Amino acid sequence: MQRKTSIPLEVLRYGAIFLVLGFFVFPIFWMVLTSFKPESAIMVSPPRFLFTPTLDNYYHAIVDKNFFFYIKNTLIISVISTAIVVFIGSLAAYSFARYNVGDGHILFFILSTKMMPAIAVILPYFLIFRDVGKTAVGKALHLGLDQHGALIVSYVMFNLPFAIWLLVSFFQDIPRSLEHSARLDGLSRLQVLRKVTFPLAAPGIAVTAVFTLIFCWNEFLFAYILTRKLASTVTVGVESFFTLQGILWGPVAAAATISVAPMLVFVLVMQRYMVRGLTFGAVRG
Amino acid sequence: MARITANRLLKRYGNFQAVHGIDFDIADGEFVAILGPSGCGKSSTMRMIAGLESITEGQILFDGTPVNDVRARDRNVAMSFENYALYAPITVYENIAFPLRSAGKDQAEIDRAVRAVAEKMELTPLLGLKPGRLSSGQAQRVGLARALVRKPAVFLLDEPISHLDTRQRYRMRRFIKSIHQEFGHTMIYVTHDQEEALALADRVMVMSDGAIQQLATPPEVYSRPANAFVAGFVGEPPINFFDFSDADETGLTIEGNRVSLTDPLRARVRELGPVGLAAIRPHFMRLGAGSPVQLQGRGFITEELQDHNEIFVDIGSVRVSLIAPPGVKVARNETVTISVDPDHLLLFPADVKVKEHSDDL
Repeated sequence: MQRKTSIPLEVLRYGAIFLVLGFFVFPIFWMVLTSFKPESAIMVSPPRFLFTPTLDNYYHAIVDKNFFFYIKNTLIISVISTAIVVFIGSLAAYSFARYNVGDGHILFFILSTKMMPAIAVILPYFLIFRDVGKTAVGKALHLGLDQHGALIVSYVMFNLPFAIWLLVSFFQDIPRSLEHSARLDGLSRLQVLRKVTFPLAAPGIAVTAVFTLIFCWNEFLFAYILTRKLASTVTVGVESFFTLQGILWGPVAAAATISVAPMLVFVLVMQRYMVRGLTFGAVRG
Repeated sequence: MARITANRLLKRYGNFQAVHGIDFDIADGEFVAILGPSGCGKSSTMRMIAGLESITEGQILFDGTPVNDVRARDRNVAMSFENYALYAPITVYENIAFPLRSAGKDQAEIDRAVRAVAEKMELTPLLGLKPGRLSSGQAQRVGLARALVRKPAVFLLDEPISHLDTRQRYRMRRFIKSIHQEFGHTMIYVTHDQEEALALADRVMVMSDGAIQQLATPPEVYSRPANAFVAGFVGEPPINFFDFSDADETGLTIEGNRVSLTDPLRARVRELGPVGLAAIRPHFMRLGAGSPVQLQGRGFITEELQDHNEIFVDIGSVRVSLIAPPGVKVARNETVTISVDPDHLLLFPADVKVKEHSDDL
């Protein structure tokens, strides 16, 4: 049977789609465009779409400002934070899902820490890391101000609640009988986790990892307050282009483009898993 | 194969006691159904036998040897589950092979065993499929095949067919019975469906509130229920309950009807005293006179099920059902006489709680 389509309705539909798409895509497009503009073409009215492209902005960001240094810091901090969050989060979520630890109260408490605005804890964090950084353990683990460890700990603290909350539902969807069956079939409890439960939860774990990595990558407040120079991340790096002499819009756009690129590629690669993960609800036993 | 014994078996979850120190003895090769409503402790009991749950107090013995501290994987117990518990990412073949691979059997042996059991379970054409492509009946056959492939000492079935539609359920019931006849495993079958239990088991263990109410053969459970709970839980349509009063040597009164008693019932009345609960299965009541136990009632509704009719009659304040041959009907409010087979009139101590419980069913 031919599906009936009315032309005005279709026009309206696609019009709406393009409007929404434009709303989200245009800023990125404009950022990328600006990063190739000579300075004379940036802050002009009317905005210019045609110009002689230049790599000066990238040169300024990468060579003069050493922007890859920020990328490296961000990569170290986000990847390690994400790994820790996913590891601890999976184990914690598993016990919440299976053993109902704390009758739901602990789970709710953990989630409730997420309701606290970051700004409320940033000062205590600053003071704690300042003092911890002076101790022997703090020094060994790089937990002081302007050190990677401090940001990693903060990011783990801030992302763990959400990760656990997300993962609990994934683990709850895995039928208990699968684990029972595997135990009767000759696996130990740990083997069951490794060979049955975690593989089945893999899409959920992938989704959690993606979200956590994106949160860490984009985080600004903690990075801004807890670092000066040595451990600064891309968001702080971009901010450093806002100088007293003025805002270097070209290099800002170039640096922002460089910062966004890895996440964009990563998310595109992971998209398949994420969609599968978010609709994982119907696990067939 | 194994004989399974439980000694004062008790399970507690925190403050909640799920199983209250039960005893049973299941013979080698016997098929026992554990029957009861949800929350009666039947699944906890089964999981303790499997080793999936720790035993709080008491003992489980396999062939006289306590297995309390034997891990699940070392008990040689197989289990099939209500939701099949198949591993979705791997094929039917690999699902069936899974227990053998865990046991470290060599490839040739695994292949031989998997193909043999697949042939028996009519699964050969499906071996290459993933579980997601199977119908529910096929999926449960894979679950049974996986359990059978390892030649277990005990075969546990946890509501294996309650997810299936009626037709599949009938088919699987025969299938499971034939597995038992062919392989002779000790089988324990947990269900809340009394019909399945009666149809399959050598003996039925009726549980309620964490205790065994009766462990007996299907005819005994049906005709000589140990208490009002068993009487109410087993049998379809459900048994009819009445309060009786003024019971003595001459008879007793049910909803205003004075009925005389046979000798065994008289002895029972001496045990119970003047008041209690009377129960009669719908199959042992008929319309018309001719029995020493007769009740007067008013017709309510007739369900014509073609092979038989189910007739509902109000006797005093109690609405009862009875089974009649096709064509026998009552009119609304028609005055009818009902004859009760005195051999099947059951008398129990008065117990309001039990009566309410059976009304839910």
